[in-house]
Amino acid sequence: MTDFFATNGFLIVSMTLAATLALSLYLPLMAGQLSLASPGFYALGGYIAAVLSDGKHFTWSGQTYPVPLVLLEMALAGLACAVLAVIVGVPALRLRGIYLALATIAFVEIVRVVSLNVEITGGAVGIFGIPQPYDDPSKLAYLWIAGPLLGLAMVFVARLERIRVGRAFTAIREDELAADAMGINPTGYKVLAFTLGAALAGMVGALSAHFINTWNARQGTFDASIGLLAFVLIGGSRSFLGPVLGAMILTALPEVLRQTADTGGLPAWLGQFMKDGRLIIYGVLLVLGTVFLPQGLITPALFQRRRPSPVRAKVEPPA
Amino acid sequence: MSESAVPTAAAPTLLQAEGMTRRFGGLIAVNNVSFSVAPGEIFGLIGPNGAGKTTLFNLMTGLIPATSGRLRLRGADITRLPPHRIARLGIARTFQNIRLFSNLSALQNVMIARHSLTRTGVVAGALGLPAARREEAATRRRALELLDLVGLADRAAGQARNFAYGDQRRLEIARALALDPTVLLLDEPAAGMNPNEKAELSAFTRDLRDRFRLTIVLIEHHVPLVMGLCDRIAVLNFGQLIALGDPATVQSDPAVIEAYLGSD
Repeated sequence: MTDFFATNGFLIVSMTLAATLALSLYLPLMAGQLSLASPGFYALGGYIAAVLSDGKHFTWSGQTYPVPLVLLEMALAGLACAVLAVIVGVPALRLRGIYLALATIAFVEIVRVVSLNVEITGGAVGIFGIPQPYDDPSKLAYLWIAGPLLGLAMVFVARLERIRVGRAFTAIREDELAADAMGINPTGYKVLAFTLGAALAGMVGALSAHFINTWNARQGTFDASIGLLAFVLIGGSRSFLGPVLGAMILTALPEVLRQTADTGGLPAWLGQFMKDGRLIIYGVLLVLGTVFLPQGLITPALFQRRRPSPVRAKVEPPA
Repeated sequence: MSESAVPTAAAPTLLQAEGMTRRFGGLIAVNNVSFSVAPGEIFGLIGPNGAGKTTLFNLMTGLIPATSGRLRLRGADITRLPPHRIARLGIARTFQNIRLFSNLSALQNVMIARHSLTRTGVVAGALGLPAARREEAATRRRALELLDLVGLADRAAGQARNFAYGDQRRLEIARALALDPTVLLLDEPAAGMNPNEKAELSAFTRDLRDRFRLTIVLIEHHVPLVMGLCDRIAVLNFGQLIALGDPATVQSDPAVIEAYLGSD
């Protein structure tokens, strides 16, 4: 068991971080806004942490970087991303549907291009040797921060779905015009949902910079946007458990395939395929998932079926 | 400027439309319509299909901006306000082509409309602070009361989309009432109701007005219902106001008869 965790420490923390990042995409989705901006805020959060921990801003003694400083960086990254989200969100959220998605992809690209071309981010080389808060080669110790972050994010989103603000989000998702007519300011709440997601993505980025140890313009790109979207689509976009589960499964999948191929007992060609054809299998699962589980793995109906179904209303006349 | 908000003693005015106009390209959907509604009145808006009744409601609730003209609520100009501000000022509405939050429960539908009357923010709500819990409980209680009022309390947990057509209309009324409005705009409340339900609707509407001290403006096609229920009636035809007055006067107005039955 210890072996398992030692071998898979990196994977387990990666899954946790991916799940938290998927929640950052789920937040604007709660208000019906398909924003793919999370990787941009994730990249920005990572740069903030990488720059702050370069030794010039904070000083510390001892071998390991102090955990409170990591938490401080996460808080600052979250705050900075929230401020940027308001600035970006107010004009961007005038767009709807696929146009918003495109605008947010453009935002991710802008962050990438800027980070490639300014000095503070280390240009194309990026920032290396980001200090480690834990002396643990397996990196499993990062779970001490990543685990509670995911837990808090899940509790937060779960609570949000049951309170006034979350109801406003849901109302906008269901029918923006009707929500407006019921006294809800759609723009305000769309920006709020977008900002909450951005802050969460920034915090994940700050922690990831330490975790990955190096940060460059390859973090948080358009590919990551699509990957995150896959987490949400496969997991299900109507319950916060969907993105969490989707992110965990899809992050673990390549590694599970690789390890299964290595266990032996499989025909050589199959083992080889599971290793080399990982991306093919990944792609096929995505296609199968969208065809057979269009709502994702987790749907609200999953929870409702356990209760006795309410008496069906009479046959509806055509509206 | 003599834009005094003091209404004349003879005819107090709650809601006043002044030359409201809406053009869609070359089509004038609502053309220079003026009327005023007194507090506590049940005001009917009738007219043939395409007369501009729903467009007028959309102008009054800010869903469509007016090309010109003004709408005043208690003397204050509310013409250019966004829908949610108008809703907060006390004008609530239902929709002709029902616009419930159809994937949500009846209870959630009504609770959503309590939004502007509650104030729990993200932090207090997520932490479940005592004040937030109290407000949540009060919101739920109020929503259940309103569902009870429209006879849907036993199906509060049911998904709105599964409700029968008439029940969806009632749910929309409960949702509108959750805004604690002073003016309620009902867009064809009797559409899709059977004769029994239509008969009940008159008494129900009057009861609503008395109980909530509402002023009600309603669009309705069912002429007997309108004639029996409304204090005054405005008739629209091709976007223009062609008659305005009490039911008997309007019913015998030659212009109205012509609009409904055609000339010659």
